[in-house]
Amino acid sequence: MRGAGGWLHERWRRRVSLLALGALEPAERAAALAHLERCPACREELAALRDVLALVDADPVHDAAPPLSAAALAARVRRRLDVSRPSAAARGAMLRPLAAAAAVVLAVWALPAAGPRRPPAAAARPAEVTDETLERLEAHVAREQAVRYLNAAQDVLVTVSVARRDCERKGGRVDVAGEARRSRELLERRPLLELNHARVASARPVLDDVELVLRDVASLEACARARDLAAIQRLLQQRRLLMKIDLMTRELQG
Amino acid sequence: MGRLAQGERELLEPLMQRHHRRIYRIALAYLRDADEALDAVQETFVKAYRGAARWDPGSEVGPWLTRIAVNHCIDVYRRGRRVGAVADPLAETDHDARAADQAPSPERRVLGRELAERIARALRSLPPQQRAVFVLRHYDEMSLPEIATSLGLSVGTVKSSLHRAVHRLRERLEGLRA
Repeated sequence: MRGAGGWLHERWRRRVSLLALGALEPAERAAALAHLERCPACREELAALRDVLALVDADPVHDAAPPLSAAALAARVRRRLDVSRPSAAARGAMLRPLAAAAAVVLAVWALPAAGPRRPPAAAARPAEVTDETLERLEAHVAREQAVRYLNAAQDVLVTVSVARRDCERKGGRVDVAGEARRSRELLERRPLLELNHARVASARPVLDDVELVLRDVASLEACARARDLAAIQRLLQQRRLLMKIDLMTRELQG
Repeated sequence: MGRLAQGERELLEPLMQRHHRRIYRIALAYLRDADEALDAVQETFVKAYRGAARWDPGSEVGPWLTRIAVNHCIDVYRRGRRVGAVADPLAETDHDARAADQAPSPERRVLGRELAERIARALRSLPPQQRAVFVLRHYDEMSLPEIATSLGLSVGTVKSSLHRAVHRLRERLEGLRA
């Protein structure tokens, strides 16, 4: 049977736990310490709990830092927000060029129907819209292409920067089969990018850096040696490539 | 936060700069998996951005983010996405450049890994809420009222949870030496 003494002692045990955790207010702490003076069982318990907490203090997690910078993580968050639900501003930005393209299609469609009997002024109006709109469309397409490519490359490189899946086929090696394949696909897409447009010319140096690292990743074996992967990870850090990609995509998106 | 609620996404980065290390450490201590912890950081800020309009300007951002992060970790744990997985918290990529400068010896790393695995198993034996309370106290050194605010609990519940958690850990870790 547990009497009032048992209940009281349970209260002290709780205070001893909190004392071990350093979570008592000064007055409670003083009372607990006074109790310990006359209670060998609680002293023993405190010592045992402190040993356990010293073990947890040695947990390497205390010193762990995220493998990505705040900038790279912020880029991931922004992409995640874009994928799940574009903001009103982003929807507007996407719809504007579509509206412009629709205007071009309507203008082209309207020309034959209008025929030669239309007054010249009416025929000239769609042509005026078309020149300006086409220029905007070209710039938009070039920018979108470059942004999509950079985002895809960043996805691969972010995975590379944290890769640690053990290879099932070869012990002590890292599985990068997916990253290597996606790098090869991206390298194949690279010549298709339209980079002659003035609005995307500034992306070239970043794309060249990306290409360099993607070539390294593409050349890795599916079960890569940890040191080969670490060399690429160092290269990524030295060139601060994830941050550069982030800044460039933001610049391209205006 | 008010400006974030109005869609100023560029404010995400300074917010993450201030809080992402702490949130990562909490998530890693709770989930014991580096990839899951990184996802938890990302999801925390995605949810913070989406919920910025609901943030109470009279309260601090830190505990609010902590609450989002811990709730996410509890969800992940309950979904059982990472049953039995143990992180390698000493892997090179878990550390930033400053930590790498003070890299431990290989022997120390092996010992650290074994210890981390034992601690991970012991922490996994705790109910989700107890684990959250213990992680916030011991890995983030939050005060009891801060933990109570972050998790929406009373201070009394926080105390009981800590008491039970530390005794459960004692059962699991007794006899082990750091």
